Amino acid sequence: MTPTARAIGAPRELRVCASVGGQPLEVDGSEISAVRESWLVEDRWWTEQPLRRRYWEVVTVGGADIVVFRDLVGGRWFRHR
Amino acid sequence: MVVAVILPRFSLSIAAGGRGALAAGPLALAPEPGRRPLVGEVSPVAEALGVVAGMKISEALARAPRLKLIAADPVAVADCWERVLLRLESVGAQVEDGGVGLACFEADGLWRIHGGSLDGVVAATRAALKLPARIGCGPSRFCAIVAAEQARSRRAAVINGAAQLAPAPAALLAHGPATAPLVEPLARFGITTLGQLAALPRGSVADRFGGPGITAWELAHGNGLPLRPRSPGQTIEETLTLTESASGPQLAAVLELLVDRLLARSELGGRTVRAATLSAKLVEGGTWRERVVFREALGDALRIRSALALRLALLPAPAESLRLAAEQLGPAAPPAEALFDDLQFRRAGRLSEAIGQLRALAGPQAALRVLLADPDSRIPERRAVLTPYER
Repeated sequence: MTPTARAIGAPRELRVCASVGGQPLEVDGSEISAVRESWLVEDRWWTEQPLRRRYWEVVTVGGADIVVFRDLVGGRWFRHR
Repeated sequence: MVVAVILPRFSLSIAAGGRGALAAGPLALAPEPGRRPLVGEVSPVAEALGVVAGMKISEALARAPRLKLIAADPVAVADCWERVLLRLESVGAQVEDGGVGLACFEADGLWRIHGGSLDGVVAATRAALKLPARIGCGPSRFCAIVAAEQARSRRAAVINGAAQLAPAPAALLAHGPATAPLVEPLARFGITTLGQLAALPRGSVADRFGGPGITAWELAHGNGLPLRPRSPGQTIEETLTLTESASGPQLAAVLELLVDRLLARSELGGRTVRAATLSAKLVEGGTWRERVVFREALGDALRIRSALALRLALLPAPAESLRLAAEQLGPAAPPAEALFDDLQFRRAGRLSEAIGQLRALAGPQAALRVLLADPDSRIPERRAVLTPYER
C-alpha cells in the first residue's frame, strides 16, 4: 500500500448567510458581530482550474475569531480555522 | 552464439508519438534542456537531406530548412526501453543492456526452449518484442551487432567471424564507447572497412591508438569480451504531481516528501537503496531524468535526500511532476552503533523501532509528521502536508 501525503488545514464547507454585497452575516447559525479583514486571492488563473476566493476574517457574537471564504468559481462557502 | 537486437531511432519514435510519425517529414530529436545544441536521432527523410545525429542545430536547419525538432522525452524513452528489455527477458534471455536501442543476449542456453535452433530463438524474440527490430547473430557481441546493422527488419543476419566482418564499415566501431573516438581518425587514414583495420599489425595499431586501438583491432578480428547481462531487479517508485510548477525550495520539499514516501513503502521491507532515478516532467515541455548510484547502499532518508538534492539542482526548468524510483535494492540496513554511549542515540533507536512496530500493526499511515511543503503559499491548505515519519 502506498502511503499518501495529506494536506493539513483543508477547508471544510459550512453554511453562511451573507448580505447582497457578499459580507457574511451568520456563520453556521452564529451571528457575526464584526468583520476584521477581507481579502481576495486569485491563483492558477493560467490553468483550466483557476482559484478565486474572497476571504473574510470575522468575529462571532460568541467571541470566536474565524476565517471563512467564498469560492467565487463554485459559489460555496468554506471555513479555514 | 550472441544475438543482438537493434531498434533503430527508438528515442525519436517515442518522442514523436510512434514510428508512423517518422515518415511524415524531416524530423530530428531536439537537445535536452541545458545540454549542447546538437540534434539527436534523425528520421530517414532528414537523413536523406544530409542531417545526421550529433550535428549542430544551425547546420541541420541550413541543410533541411523544413526540419522539425521534436522535444526529447528521456523519461518515456527509459520507461519504454525497460519494457523492451523485460519482453526480451520473458523469452528466457539474460539481457545485456547496450543503451537505448541496443540489447544483446547469449542464445546457447535458449535453443532447447525454443525448438532446438537459432531460428527458433530469433522467432521467439521477434514474437516477444512485437516491434520492428533488426536482429543479428554472431560468435561475439560485435559480430552480432554488425550482423544486426546489416539485417533487414524481417530477416535475421548471421556473421561468423572476421572473414565476414571484413567488408563492414569501420564506422560500426561507434557502437563501443571505447572505440567510438577512433572512427574519425581511422577514416582520415583511409581505413574505411573492418577488414582494412584487421589487416594492420596489432603492434602498429597499439602504437598509434593505444588501448582503444587494441580493442578495435580485436573487435575487427571477431573477438570481444563476454556479455555482462543485467540482473533484473525490483523497482519501487513514487510520483508527485505538483498543483503548480515548482522549483527551488518548493522542489526540495517535494523531494523530502518523495523520499519519505518511498522509504515508507511496505515493498521496501527495510532494505537499503543502491541506485535511484529522479525524473521530472517540465512545465515548458519535455522531460528530464538523472540516475544516481550512491557510494554505498543507503537506508537513511537524510543521506538519500542529500545525494539526490545535488542532482535536483541540475533540473533545467520548473517541473510539473517529480518521480523518484529506487532501482536496485541492497540488504536491510544493519542497526547503527554509536561510537559513545549516547542517550539521544539510544532514544532515537527505540523511537525508530516503535514506529516500525506501529506500522506493522496499523499500516503505513500510522506514524506521520508535518512537512512544510510551501510555507509562504497564499493558499493555507498548501502550506503543510502530513507525510510518513522517517528517521
